[in-house]
Amino acid sequence: MNVPANDPNLAIRMENITRHFPGVIANQNVHLQVTQGTFHALIGENGAGKSTLLNILYGRLRPDKGRIFLKGNEVTDSLKTPADAIRHRVGMVSQHYALIPALTVLENVMLGMEPTGALGILQRGKASERIQVLATQLQIAPLDLHIRAEKLSVAAQQKVEILKALYRNAEILLLDEPTATLAPQEAETLFGLLQTLVKRGTTILFVTHKLGEVMAYSQAVTVLRAGKNAGDFATAQTDAHELLHSMIGSRGNLPLQPLNPNVEPESIHAFAGESWATPVSISKSPLLQVEGVTVRNARQSLLVRDACLDVARGEILGIAGVDGSGQKELAEAIVGLQKLSAGRLFLEGVDFTQTSVAQRKAQGISYIPEDRHHAGLILDFSVAENYLLGQHHEASWGGGAFIHPTLMEARATAMVRQYDVRISDLGPSIPARNLSGGNQQKIVVSRAMESHPRLLVACQPTRGLDVEAARFVYKTLRDARQQGLGILLFSLDLDEILELADRVAVMYNGQVVAVLPRSEATPERVGAWMTGAALAPTEEIP
Amino acid sequence: MRLRFSLQTNLMRSLLSIILGLLVVGIVLKLSGFRPFEAYQALFEGATGISSGKPVSISDRGFHIGTWDGHFSTYTFAQTLASITPLLFTGLAIALALRAGLFNIGAQGQMAVGATMAGLVGAIGTGGAINPVVGTLPRMIHIPLVLLASAIAGALWGGIAGYLKAKRGVHEVLSTIMLNYVAINLTNYLVTHSLKDPNPANMAVQTGLIAKSAWLHPLVINSNFTIGLALALLCAVGVAFLLAFTVLGYEIRAVGLGAGSARANGIAVPRVIIKTMAISGALAGLAGAIEVMGIHHRFLQGTAGDYGFDGIAVALLGGLNAGGITLSAVFFGALSNGANFMQLQTNVPKTIAVVIQAIIILFVGVRFQRKLQAPSKAPQDELESA
Repeated sequence: MNVPANDPNLAIRMENITRHFPGVIANQNVHLQVTQGTFHALIGENGAGKSTLLNILYGRLRPDKGRIFLKGNEVTDSLKTPADAIRHRVGMVSQHYALIPALTVLENVMLGMEPTGALGILQRGKASERIQVLATQLQIAPLDLHIRAEKLSVAAQQKVEILKALYRNAEILLLDEPTATLAPQEAETLFGLLQTLVKRGTTILFVTHKLGEVMAYSQAVTVLRAGKNAGDFATAQTDAHELLHSMIGSRGNLPLQPLNPNVEPESIHAFAGESWATPVSISKSPLLQVEGVTVRNARQSLLVRDACLDVARGEILGIAGVDGSGQKELAEAIVGLQKLSAGRLFLEGVDFTQTSVAQRKAQGISYIPEDRHHAGLILDFSVAENYLLGQHHEASWGGGAFIHPTLMEARATAMVRQYDVRISDLGPSIPARNLSGGNQQKIVVSRAMESHPRLLVACQPTRGLDVEAARFVYKTLRDARQQGLGILLFSLDLDEILELADRVAVMYNGQVVAVLPRSEATPERVGAWMTGAALAPTEEIP
Repeated sequence: MRLRFSLQTNLMRSLLSIILGLLVVGIVLKLSGFRPFEAYQALFEGATGISSGKPVSISDRGFHIGTWDGHFSTYTFAQTLASITPLLFTGLAIALALRAGLFNIGAQGQMAVGATMAGLVGAIGTGGAINPVVGTLPRMIHIPLVLLASAIAGALWGGIAGYLKAKRGVHEVLSTIMLNYVAINLTNYLVTHSLKDPNPANMAVQTGLIAKSAWLHPLVINSNFTIGLALALLCAVGVAFLLAFTVLGYEIRAVGLGAGSARANGIAVPRVIIKTMAISGALAGLAGAIEVMGIHHRFLQGTAGDYGFDGIAVALLGGLNAGGITLSAVFFGALSNGANFMQLQTNVPKTIAVVIQAIIILFVGVRFQRKLQAPSKAPQDELESA
């Protein structure tokens, strides 16, 4: 790797990049070399420092030390803001898209680089011409430029983001987990698009958790672990096993598919002798019945249409679907956060349609929300106060008529120990904000499990988690199923659903379009339902 | 440990804001041709009652520190204590609402309603007499009765805004501002018509005198300092206890820091909002009652003063916690009382106290703003997606 720093064939060269945050070293002497015109993957667990590195490259963060070269020219001192990055022809598509919902596609793309004529008059035609040319080159034309960004699907928004970068003449494109919220078919389309770009000479650096994507599409891979380099590979000369090993380091002697139940005998035998340890059999009388549930938003448009489902005790019902197909609203309707405009809900035959969130909790409906920051935890509350949340009427958690801080902290300490939540030495009085995403999720999950649920509604429980934390969640869900709980698992990650579910339901466009037994739920079939391809050909597919 | 740490940093920041505020105003005074040191010395004398030289009145006590002669005016000091009282009530009212994420701009109106109610219930047993009468109710019943009535009136007034927010989504800033106008005009209407002072010699917009059985008597002769301050301090303890040790307090904090998570975990957010606004209004209502019972002995136009808005400054400088608010009410009470003396002594207009208050809040606001905004730049957030 003794290439001179100013080699123009290297689109990106980062040397000795170090970046501290209070109490954390996000990047420590990180090196990165990306060859001009290649498709380069950057992988690592959560907290490995991938996004930090990307943000440094895009001028959002300044490195504490280190040097950055773009196409052989040192830019360390001239890369201070995203505007500088754009000037250096670097574009970025973040995990959370930065489109302005109320503006049209055209306005979003040209924002900040509007072509103007005499007297500063905006030339929309000129911009739209240029965008259509770009779209044609990317084979995504024709494109409706006058639709408002808020009306676009997630996949379409992402395309607009890419277009926006190219409109700014980006020659280096950074993508942060571009497929995290896409359906399998959409992800394929995206990679097709990116490969077109690479052929045209664009350099692409993308961050991902999915090794399958890395193996299928990248040409080179850089692995980060705990803020440091853990390896550089040419994709053709490595395999997924080696990459996983490199990502998780000393824990790398885990099997490649550690989440397969067959290699986790403890989850089956550990509870032998307990009364419920009978082999899992799906009982005939359903635990949860969802009958014709319809949810509308304030503007009366349909979010969930006539959904019918049932979940048995000891069963995991996976609900697959592309982001925004009504999963979130259906889950919220079941836990009591959405008003139904039609339909009924039964728990063991008892109608609970009219009850409040608190009453449903008391009846044994536990909820792992999709957004742990805005629905799960209160980040400025301490760990102990977060454990109390929702149990604050329970004396055993330190609640009741009055709050008992010592009892509350004692219970939290016990929980933290039992579920191996890493909270440093300061104890449960530190704010939940200071924990990593995985440990925050452990609080949410363990709290849900310890409130004696009968039904668990889990929404994207492993979103954004690293391998270890995801393993914890999987094990918890499997244990819960063993204990006879009914589990509704909403996930955008089809692999996760196929891994865990006993039956698979698919939502498309607000409807439950299919319920398949696990044996019939192949990725192809589920994918076809998810994208609407399996529906009648007259149905419009967005 | 964390608590103590954050208290300490809060205190340091508030003190720094005060020092910077005094410094800036000192420069302004200097540029305006006044002598800032003399002005501030007069301010201090007026605030604490401690000044140099021989005693000037019989209530003053002389003392010597080494060769320095000074005297302490209990009257001046008692007036400062009196100024603290309504500020502490309204400061607590506003802080409690803010802890639930509600900006109660309506302490003014809630206080006016409470004061009017005190004028009304306080008049029980006077038989419409023109001159002060003892009244028919025993003090031990009449005083709590008036306090209760005022608290309920304030709670209802605050509760309206809470209800509108919880059930109709009306922003509390808008509803409380509008309710202020309603309260002020409604109470003015009442005291110019049905509740007007029966004494034909009195043209002022005021009610008649309340019965002596509802008066709070000065603890220092001729001053406005009454047992009301003790009640305010009791309320401060109550608010601290409410927030730290009760389920409602826990729910209030949860709603303030993360309404979405509170709701998803079964907290009835609308109910918490209504209750919080009601308690906040009750505290402001009590401020009105104390002013009526201890100082004016009747409701008169403008009894609520600017305490409702000054309370915002008190709450913010106090870092929204009861202990800090007590200290900050002491500071602002001393400032306003000291300013009167400063004007007499040095010709520096007493409104300069308002300027000091404003500048302090600007400095406090700098960090408060940062606290309110979700710290999106926190390292955890940055790292999480890494």
